[in-house]
Amino acid sequence: MQIVIGNKNYSSWSMRPWVLAKEAGIPFEEVQLKFNEADGGLTVDGIDRFNVAGKVPVLVIDGEPVWDSLAICETLAERFPEKQLWPADRSARQVARSICAEMHSGFTGMRSSMPMNIRSQYPGKGMTEQTRRDIDRVLEIWTTCREKFGKGGAMLFSRFSVADAYFAPVVMRFRAYAVELSPVCRAYSEAVQALRSVREWMDGARKETEFVPTDEPYASRNR
Amino acid sequence: MLLVIGNKNYSSWSLRPWLAMKVLGIAFDEVRIPLYQPGSKERILGYSKAGKVPILRDGDTVVWDSLAILEYLAERHPQLWPADRAERAKARSVSAEMHSGFAKLREHMSMNTRKHYPGKGRTPESMADVARIDGIWSQAKGPFLFGAFGAADAMYAPVVLRFRTYGVEVRKKSYMDAMLDLPAMREWIEAAEREPESIPEQDLYG
Repeated sequence: MQIVIGNKNYSSWSMRPWVLAKEAGIPFEEVQLKFNEADGGLTVDGIDRFNVAGKVPVLVIDGEPVWDSLAICETLAERFPEKQLWPADRSARQVARSICAEMHSGFTGMRSSMPMNIRSQYPGKGMTEQTRRDIDRVLEIWTTCREKFGKGGAMLFSRFSVADAYFAPVVMRFRAYAVELSPVCRAYSEAVQALRSVREWMDGARKETEFVPTDEPYASRNR
Repeated sequence: MLLVIGNKNYSSWSLRPWLAMKVLGIAFDEVRIPLYQPGSKERILGYSKAGKVPILRDGDTVVWDSLAILEYLAERHPQLWPADRAERAKARSVSAEMHSGFAKLREHMSMNTRKHYPGKGRTPESMADVARIDGIWSQAKGPFLFGAFGAADAMYAPVVLRFRTYGVEVRKKSYMDAMLDLPAMREWIEAAEREPESIPEQDLYG
């Protein structure tokens, strides 16, 4: 089984299934491809041999590509039921699915004005009106889940689940842009950053030297 | 069960679970909240704090977002995904690709069931989305993407309506015909045509 990812510093979609599998102890081979901006558009060098959608991440399982982070997470949850990647409780599971799907199709303000950039610090940058609304909604989700489902542990649904993997890149963003957090949300953010899988991903990101202009709206121009 | 949806003319996200439930024969009450009217937002927030349609309420359980609702339904109605696990993974991939992607198609060819805008909205980016979708549809295993109607088809149903509105030609026209022939789809189109509300910002080309 392989998980094909992009740059660890930038690729928030790649981080999700990678952290999910790593944290759950599902063995996989990592295949890293790098973003390329040579022709104007952002492409992924070497992705053609994995799938036709042309995007990372990709899961290769039984020789077949599964693409898109959410489809990969659902597929992993189904193939490794003993890992309980979704909450076991039916009603908690629906909330977990709903917030992951909400993340998957939404929060475009935050995603565009606060791109994930693990090795950088841009406190105060990117806070547009829409991004503020997106952030408030994320904080509402975290607070509600921690209060309603999180009493048995440090994660959104007590123990680690797809939902935490899904919000891990958001934790990275809040860290890079120094978004102010309530005590409940700060504790959650710290718990995510303390996960072994997340620390490993961050270490990998810090070692990367590639610079992708599209994902660097706040970098000084003279680098 | 209760499904909260937006305008049938405009709300592509609403069509997805609505169609899946109709095709599966799952009984539900429909609450239609016309969008962008005074009080619309508040009414939606009364059902879900995410503030967006569609929303499914089943007893105490509230599920929001089209794809999460389809997964919820599939727990009880597994036929929504292909029985073969490799096929199922592929169906989830194309569904998720639709869910998070095709932004330019959505922007330039927004769903507008009752309008006809042939040739409009064609930019290089929206046509790249069209080409990718055409490629996915051309590999359909039967009348629908994976043989019989499933969640992946529910996800692409609004795209069929878009292509109908914008006069987009595809290689596998039989896929669009199969979708448009579904009694539930005809019911949705007829209801959209009868809707009194219009949202001027979403009537992109007059």
